[in-house]
Amino acid sequence: MKNIKYYARPSSVKDALALLLDRKYKALALAGGTLVAKTLPDSVETYLDLKDLPLKGIKLQGGNLVIGAGATFDEIDRDRLCRGWAGGIVSAAAAKCSSQLIRNMATIGGNVARPHSFNIFPVVLLGLDARVRVQAKGGSRLLGLEELYAAAPLLRPGSNCLITEIVIPAATKKWKCEFVKLAKTDSSWESYVTLFFAAERRGKALSRARVAVGALSPRPFRAPRGGEGPAGRRGPRQGLRGRPRRRARRGLRLRGVGQPARPLRGRYLR
Amino acid sequence: MKKDILETKKGNFEITVTVNGELKELSVKNGEFLLDALRRHGWKGTKKGCDTGDCGSCTVILNGRAVLGCLVPAVAAHGGELTTIEGLGTVRDPHPLQEAFVEAGAVQCGFCIPGMILSSKALLDRAPRPTEAEIRKALDGNLCRCTGYVKQVEAVKNASARLAGGKRKRG
Repeated sequence: MKNIKYYARPSSVKDALALLLDRKYKALALAGGTLVAKTLPDSVETYLDLKDLPLKGIKLQGGNLVIGAGATFDEIDRDRLCRGWAGGIVSAAAAKCSSQLIRNMATIGGNVARPHSFNIFPVVLLGLDARVRVQAKGGSRLLGLEELYAAAPLLRPGSNCLITEIVIPAATKKWKCEFVKLAKTDSSWESYVTLFFAAERRGKALSRARVAVGALSPRPFRAPRGGEGPAGRRGPRQGLRGRPRRRARRGLRLRGVGQPARPLRGRYLR
Repeated sequence: MKKDILETKKGNFEITVTVNGELKELSVKNGEFLLDALRRHGWKGTKKGCDTGDCGSCTVILNGRAVLGCLVPAVAAHGGELTTIEGLGTVRDPHPLQEAFVEAGAVQCGFCIPGMILSSKALLDRAPRPTEAEIRKALDGNLCRCTGYVKQVEAVKNASARLAGGKRKRG
């Protein structure tokens, strides 16, 4: 931060984006700042503070759950809508992030924009098919998490565009989900693995099962074969503990660039 | 737009911030964090522990929320309202939380206590009668190397009862 010359706290997304794109300022956007404040590159000359932007609301829009990018983990943890969505998985995941002091500061937008491998929300949002509204020079557009990360060289949230909201589709509202964070301690922000599992229950059978994994690679990824295990099988009476979860584990055979060659089962998920 | 931008003068930002109820004009270095700025200006009750956001000893209340002073750039406090441990009470007239910590024997070496008390205050301001689980959750970012957690949780419970006008339990 030693080269910072300007501090800006705009009150509209339009002003914030204009400043971000103005080459004179060499700006970087910070929301909570927990991931970035200590590691600002020397090339940054303007600290663009997003906390006055009207991006904190959590609302239902067209049946979808829309979370403003400026909502903190603590606000998401305590929000009634988030607690009632997909078995409360969004709130439960927020509560697993680091410590209360970090949860008071860190925002969901920042967590998605800086996809550190340990970050919690990218995994959960990937599993819930969430989309991210990005405000860039050409206007606003909705992108899936995978699209956002694939567009990384061109779209760099906080540097040349802003994430304004996260849209979680209405179809996921009744999903049964589970989020597991395996770490040294509960409040440790570094995790060995974060695992999201969700399925829709129709009658006695599970459908649309899906698994998303984080912390094992620089970006979270979906494991389609992990979802094949429990899909179509008989679901449990309550929650997703027991057989479907074991089947999902069995199906977690991940191969590909940056992914473990051997099955995860037995290595991380005991 | 221009009015929203602060510019450094000789490497310093001039900020206005309300500290413990008093409006102050402070000169903070560019790249300086709130913890260092507060200590440099004399509020030394805010402790410097890990300086990486892990220990919570630098906790202050900024605009009603307990935050880590070591992770908040000092300039970001511009226009804000700040409470440090010095703003809570004095030796002669302690805050009920400070009293409860002493009475419960929750203070050992004392280094983590300013942060613990400010995290507790932020909790009690939001939820005057918290459950034990809520207290533990609110304090999960404040580490105590003396491991006095049981007494600290008890102290917050006692303070909550006292602030709510209930009967105090001796620690």
